[in-house]
Amino acid sequence: MNIRRVLINFIFVIVSFILQTTIFRIIDLGGITPNLLMIMTASIAFIKGDRAGLLSGFFCGLLVDIFFGTYLGFFALIYMYIGFIVGKLHIIFFSQNVAIPIVVITISDIIFGFICYVLMFLFRTKFNIGYYMMTVILPEAVYTAIIAIFYYPIILKVNNAIDEKEQRSAKKFV
Amino acid sequence: MSPIIKRRGEEFTLPSKYLLFILTIVCTALIVITFNTNLFTGPLNSFAGVFVVPFQKGITSVSTSIKETTDKLSSITKLLEENEKLKEQVDELTIANTNLEQEKYELTELRTLYELDAQYEEYKKTGARIIAKDAGNWYYSFVIDKGSDDGIQVDMNVIAGGGLVGRVIDVGPDWAKVQSIIADNSSVSGMVLSSSDNLIVSGDLEKYRNGYISFSKLVDDVDRVKIGDKIVTSNISDKYLPGILIGYISTIDDDSNNLTKSGTITPAVDFEHMNEVLVLLELKNNGGK
Repeated sequence: MNIRRVLINFIFVIVSFILQTTIFRIIDLGGITPNLLMIMTASIAFIKGDRAGLLSGFFCGLLVDIFFGTYLGFFALIYMYIGFIVGKLHIIFFSQNVAIPIVVITISDIIFGFICYVLMFLFRTKFNIGYYMMTVILPEAVYTAIIAIFYYPIILKVNNAIDEKEQRSAKKFV
Repeated sequence: MSPIIKRRGEEFTLPSKYLLFILTIVCTALIVITFNTNLFTGPLNSFAGVFVVPFQKGITSVSTSIKETTDKLSSITKLLEENEKLKEQVDELTIANTNLEQEKYELTELRTLYELDAQYEEYKKTGARIIAKDAGNWYYSFVIDKGSDDGIQVDMNVIAGGGLVGRVIDVGPDWAKVQSIIADNSSVSGMVLSSSDNLIVSGDLEKYRNGYISFSKLVDDVDRVKIGDKIVTSNISDKYLPGILIGYISTIDDDSNNLTKSGTITPAVDFEHMNEVLVLLELKNNGGK
């Protein structure tokens, strides 16, 4: 964990959040915006493992909490656990292939939507899960998947570039 | 070597499951603290003001102007088709207009009766632009580009186009967060203008997709409330100033308890195409403060 990686990923998260709340709100499809922060969390977790995943999830969630959350820490908790679980897949799968991460991102967004539904709607006795599934969770996941096809390679490339630089500077010391 | 902290030469790292455990406790503590107090809002809001809000302001103003110009260009081709249709509509509308004029007479009569006009003008207002909308797709809150520097405080009411939009729930130096009345987690105490019956207006994600918000707990034994009646904020609301237009009743149903009624309201504000709002710089006086 070096300072350059932390800084670049921090900027990445802030930029994703700003894009998600401004531009993607204007070019939304039927009132639904893609969840760029979920792409960020799941991608970093997938590329770098559970530790990086849970940290990036924590900060993504905290950013949402500061602006739009009712209670600080609520979304941070959800994003963090998703980042941690996706990070466990890091050992199993190969991150260079694009297809698997996209599937993982989509599934984690569906799970995120489902958790949100349970915690924010089901507990207030709104039982019509089919409706919420069809109008919010699935459209959001599909839109997120489409954006992730373009977004994931960028995150992967930037992280690989940092890796290379780290290895080069490590070789200098040997 | 301790099992909890692995030493690798000089630096030591914490295994991720312990990190997860610690952060979980931190999050839970934060939830509990923010649930009971507002300890963190100050520093975090100023953090947001430095890092995020300036960019949101810039990007939103640029992208809205781009979208407006592209909309203009694409609309030219549509305009010719529309022109034909509009001519037909003009005929229909002249007929409708005569009906509306009768209703307008009724409306002005009601307004003078309740002195709505005078009340709206009494409040000091400030205009603000919407710079960001909710990150998720569940609730409907947004951020405006004015904050405590312009005199905005938490619980101030926000209106647009003469109708109620919501209220300020969080405020930073140059931004404020507004919770709208159509958000699923918000409810407003309302009043039927014609009969002064109180009711609860609550946002509903399911109904809003069809353009409605729901109301409940209307006590109306003598069936005086009709479809099309105006709903305004009530005098007994503790957050909203009285007499702000919320919308018009579109359906009424009897509840199963046969005592109260519920139904749907068409909101007076077009929430989809809202770019600027007015903040009423006055807090509801609840007495004793």
